[in-house]
Amino acid sequence: MSTNRHPVEQDELMAYLDGELPTDRATTALAHLERCPECQALATDLRTVSRQLLVWEVDGPGGQIPAKISAALAQPRPETETANVNPPAARNKIMVWRWAWAAGFALLCLVVGLSFNRSRHPFSADLRQNAAVREPATSADKNALIESIPRQQSLGALSNFQLKEGSAGRLELSAKLQNPPPVKFQSPGPPGPMIVRTAGLTLTTNDFDRARAVLDDILRRHHGYVGELNVSTPADSGRSLSATLRVPADQLEAAIADLRKLGRVDSESQNGQEVTEQYVDLEARLANARNTEQRLTDLLRSRTGRLSDVLAVETEISRVRGEIERMEAERKSLATQVDFATINANVREDYKAQLEVVPVTTWGRLRNAAVEGYHSMVEGIVGVALFLFSWGPSLLLWAAILFFPARAVWRKIRRESAA
Amino acid sequence: MTSDEALMLEFQGGSRVAFEELFARYHDPLYGFFRRRLADPERAEDLAQETFLAVIRAASRYEPRALVRTYLYGIALRLLSAERRKQFNRIPMAELGPEPATGGAAETGLWVRQALDRLEALEREILMLREYEQLSYSEIADLLRIPVNTVRSRLFRSRLAMRSYLQSGARPNPGLPTMEATPAQPDEARNEHE
Repeated sequence: MSTNRHPVEQDELMAYLDGELPTDRATTALAHLERCPECQALATDLRTVSRQLLVWEVDGPGGQIPAKISAALAQPRPETETANVNPPAARNKIMVWRWAWAAGFALLCLVVGLSFNRSRHPFSADLRQNAAVREPATSADKNALIESIPRQQSLGALSNFQLKEGSAGRLELSAKLQNPPPVKFQSPGPPGPMIVRTAGLTLTTNDFDRARAVLDDILRRHHGYVGELNVSTPADSGRSLSATLRVPADQLEAAIADLRKLGRVDSESQNGQEVTEQYVDLEARLANARNTEQRLTDLLRSRTGRLSDVLAVETEISRVRGEIERMEAERKSLATQVDFATINANVREDYKAQLEVVPVTTWGRLRNAAVEGYHSMVEGIVGVALFLFSWGPSLLLWAAILFFPARAVWRKIRRESAA
Repeated sequence: MTSDEALMLEFQGGSRVAFEELFARYHDPLYGFFRRRLADPERAEDLAQETFLAVIRAASRYEPRALVRTYLYGIALRLLSAERRKQFNRIPMAELGPEPATGGAAETGLWVRQALDRLEALEREILMLREYEQLSYSEIADLLRIPVNTVRSRLFRSRLAMRSYLQSGARPNPGLPTMEATPAQPDEARNEHE
C-alpha cells in the first residue's frame, strides 16, 4: 500500500536518475526528490555506487585494425553466410522463420493430401482460398524499422546533448540538472534538399510464382521492406499482386530497374515532393519548444513563489513536453518518408498463363475420370455401410420375429405337397 | 557525426572507411566488455576482434531494425557464452589477474570486482551492462530477453546490494565520496514505500 509520503517507488526514483522514467513520472519524481530527505539520501547512495563502479577502468588497446580483420575485409563477402552469432532481433526472426517453415511444411502435407481430390495446383488452391492475402509480418517489420529510424535520424540538439554525457552521466544527470549548463537548442537543419519520392509500376508477367520470390529478393538486396502486400486470385482471370514497397531513397532507381525485369512494363510513374521547408519549419518549432522547456525547468528549479505557481509551471512543462514529443514523432515520420522511397507495384499474371491451370489435356481428363471413379466407389461403399447401419437393426429384428412362423408355414406347405 | 546505423549500411554497401569508423568507435568498449568478464586480457582482445569478424561475415544479412550498439553487444554476449561454455567452470571474478587500473584506483577496482562477484549472475550482468556499457533498460531487456520491468527491479536490487557491500567493509577510493549509513536498509526501505 503506497503512502502519500513517497509518491514514487524507490526503483522509479532510480529510473529517474538513470533518465529512464516517462516525463510525467519524472516530473513527480523530481518534485518529490527535492523535498524528501530520505529519497535524497537514497539518490546520493545510488550515485555513489555508480561512481564506485566506474573506478574499475579498463584501458583499451586502441590502435589500428588488426591484420586478421584486415584480411577478412579484403576477402569478398558471401551474399548469405550462416554466422554463428545473431542479435536478439535476428534470433527472434530465426525462430519465426523456423515456425513458418514448420507451418509451411504442415500446410504442404495437407495440400498434397487434398490434391488427390482436387485438380487445381496446390498453391493456386491455397491462394484461391485466401483471395486477398495480407502479410502480417510486413506490418511488424515496418514498425520495427520505423522504430529504428529515429535513432539514426535524431541528430537534434537534445539527443546530442544526452549522448555527450560521460559514463557517469546517467546517474549524474539529475545532479547536473540542478545546476545546468546554459544549453541553447538550435535547429541543425537538413543536410540538403529533402524529397519524398514515390514511384508506381504496373507489370504483366508470365511466371507469377517466380515474380513473388524475385520481389522478395529485390527487397533484400536493396535493404527495403514490404509496407503492404495483397495477392488476389480470381477464378476467371489471372492472379494479381499489389504491393507497397519501401526502399532506401538512394536505392530507388536500382530497385525499379530490377522490378522492370519481372515482366512487361504496362505503366510507370515517378513523383518527388520536396519537404525541406516543412522539415526546417518543424526543426525550428522543435528547437523553440525545447528552449521553452529548458526555461520552464530553470524557472521551476529556482522557484520562490506560491504552490499554485509551481503547479502551473509543472503543467506548462508537461504541455510543452507533449508538444515536443508530438513534433519529434512528426519529424521522425518525415525523415522516414525521405529516407525510404515508396514504390507502388502492381504485378498481374498473363491471362494465357491462367488458362494453363485448366486441365485440358488427355492426361488431365483421364486423371479426373479416375478421381471421379474413386469417388463413386467410395461413395457406393459408404452408402451401403450407411444403409446397413441405419436399417440393419430393424431388418434383423423383423427377421428374428418372422423366421419361425415362416419356417413353420414353409414346412407345412412342403408336407402337404408331399402327401 | 554519422550515425552507427548509417555507417553499418555504408559498410554493407562495401565501404571500408565506414567499417574503420565503427571499429574505432566500438573496439575499446568491446574490449572492456570482455576484459571485465574474462581473466585473460589476450582472450578479451581476441573475442573483441571476433566480434568484428562476425559483423563482417554477417554484414550482408544486417537489417537496420535495432541499434548497431545493441547488435554488437548481442554478438559479444553470444561469444562470451560460447567462451564460458568452453571453460566449463565459471571463473569467479575475484580470480581475475591484477587489473591495469589507472591512477590509484587499483585497490578500489579490486574491491569492485569482488563485490560484483557476490551478486547473482543475472543481476551482475544487468548492472555491468548498465554501468559499463551504458545500455538503456530496453536495450538490456532486448539483449537478455527479459522484460524491462525485470531489468529495472533487478538493477535496483543489485545497486542496493552493492551499497550494502560498500557499507559493510569496503574501502573506497579516498577521492570518491564515502557512503554514509542511511537508515533505510534495502528491504526496510522498500517496505516503507508499500
